[in-house]
Amino acid sequence: MILLTYLLLSGLTTGSLYALIALGIVVVNKATGVINFAHGELFMFSGFVAWMLHVQMGVPYLPSLLVAVAFGFVLGALTNLIAFRPLKNANIVSLVLATIGIAFMLRGAARVIWGGKGDYLPFPPITSPEPVMIGEIMVIPQQLAVLAGAIVIMAAFAAFFRLTRAGKMMQATADNAKAATLVGIRIDRIYMLSFGTGAAIAAAAAVLMAPLTLLYPDMGFAFFIKGFAAAVLGGLTSLPGAVLGGISIGIIEALAGGYIHSSFIEVSAFIVIMFVLVVRPTGLLGFNGLRRV
Amino acid sequence: MALFGRRNVLLAMLLVAAAAPSFLNAYYVFVANTILIYVLLAIGLNILVGNTGQLAFANAAMFGIGAYGTGLLQVHFGWPFWLAFPSGAVIATAVGLAISLPALRLSGLYLALSTLAFAQFTQWVFLNWEAVTFGAGGFKTPTISFAPLPISKPMGLYYLSLILVIVLFVLAQNLVRSRIGRAFVAVRDSEIAAQSLGVDLLRYKALAFGISGFYAGIAGGLYSAMLNFVSPEGYDLFQMVIQKAMIVVGGLGSIAGSVLGASALVSILELLRKVKGFQEIVFGAILVGFILFMPGGIIGFLKAKVRGWEEPLHRARPGKRSTSAAATSESSEVRP
Repeated sequence: MILLTYLLLSGLTTGSLYALIALGIVVVNKATGVINFAHGELFMFSGFVAWMLHVQMGVPYLPSLLVAVAFGFVLGALTNLIAFRPLKNANIVSLVLATIGIAFMLRGAARVIWGGKGDYLPFPPITSPEPVMIGEIMVIPQQLAVLAGAIVIMAAFAAFFRLTRAGKMMQATADNAKAATLVGIRIDRIYMLSFGTGAAIAAAAAVLMAPLTLLYPDMGFAFFIKGFAAAVLGGLTSLPGAVLGGISIGIIEALAGGYIHSSFIEVSAFIVIMFVLVVRPTGLLGFNGLRRV
Repeated sequence: MALFGRRNVLLAMLLVAAAAPSFLNAYYVFVANTILIYVLLAIGLNILVGNTGQLAFANAAMFGIGAYGTGLLQVHFGWPFWLAFPSGAVIATAVGLAISLPALRLSGLYLALSTLAFAQFTQWVFLNWEAVTFGAGGFKTPTISFAPLPISKPMGLYYLSLILVIVLFVLAQNLVRSRIGRAFVAVRDSEIAAQSLGVDLLRYKALAFGISGFYAGIAGGLYSAMLNFVSPEGYDLFQMVIQKAMIVVGGLGSIAGSVLGASALVSILELLRKVKGFQEIVFGAILVGFILFMPGGIIGFLKAKVRGWEEPLHRARPGKRSTSAAATSESSEVRP
């Protein structure tokens, strides 16, 4: 019982991080119809920026988080300027490959600036690392902090998306870009905002996660593919779906690692995703857009 | 025929490749052999991505399956290389055909994810099924010998690769000009239109995946024999991106472009091999740069600017000058 609750809690924690990454992927995909393959590297790079501020320069945690989020937003907007805006009318293969190019440039830059392959940089914990027993359940405070942070970010994003003018413009553009242009929305700006917001959420996730694991230049892709899997599981265009998909993948991984073998943590998500894509190609909460001919 | 036309340049490249081992040292022969292997990979991938328009990420995995298949059949069952090598290619082809089954239902980004998941799964099997694959450390394969022939192993392997490249190049060139090649392009440009013209999507998608698997499997077998060593690292995602960059740089949907792209990128990779970080930055920059500024790749540039490379129907007839617009329109891909 202790094992099960522990696994569920840690699955929920990593799952909430996957959910944040998936959220960023879905925000971009909803607005532009593209998957930003540099998303994981934006996540990684922002994490390193926070590490540099917090560990190397001694800036407190919260300001580091804010700076990293702002930095992530700028990087995301730059990705849009370089790899999306000039290629809006190109085919999907070119668009995807352009974002992969950005991803490799960022990864190489991180390797040159912050160290070589296999350099794992620790990030100091923000709470005490000792586990606490709440009744029968063993809890690591850091996990609770991450979970709480993730919930706050999701709530903030939901409020932004539903309540602000910019969020409503994003919704309008996602619904119908041509109609949005007709009512005077500058959709190029909305695309930039979407890329920026997606990257900012990823940056927040990176800074939240950093105290829980270590930072390394190759981490971006591993997290991106989990986030992508979560987004597809949720249907690629559904924001609640992304959260649900992320948490499901986190919990599946934790259970597979705990009850089968620890090496299954890495692969269980892919087995699930291959299965889901074959059985239900539009994801769990996906819009049923299968075209009948 | 212009002096620097397509046929003359390719013929000159072939002559240089055939004569290369006589004037290059062992290291450069190794690099040249690597180029030949990547040419095979790029041709196979280009048929799948460039011609058929399937956004698949499993080519590095199939390359790995070819290498592991060839190596493991020799190590575990004591098969000779000449039997294990074609078997490895057949296994890779079979896997290619198998992953085309979900591809029939999925397209675009969903296909990208499912093939990415498959690639990660393959990598995981290489790493964790230690009883068979020897895990992260990899394993040594027996040195092959060209016993009746009086040549050393690197030379023999080089010429074996060269012969395979020539045969498979001609095969691919003829394939894309045939009915099958036109069906591939029809699938890329519009699946619905292709179906309404009687193109069987299942058959042609499976065929494209099978062909790319076959080319990757052949390349994998040669690669394992060249290195005498197989480990999971060589078949990861960086590998996949290198191959993607090759077909973008060479020109999507062009077999000759695959040759040019593979040669160019392997050379750059070797020049930068000291610092992995710079290697990645330069790779990313090349990929983005070509997509933004030369979407037709090297071949698109040659078709537009150099006489003797243009599409046969766009060639200026005697006494008439073709407009440059007509020549460039062919290089940009036709979109659905």
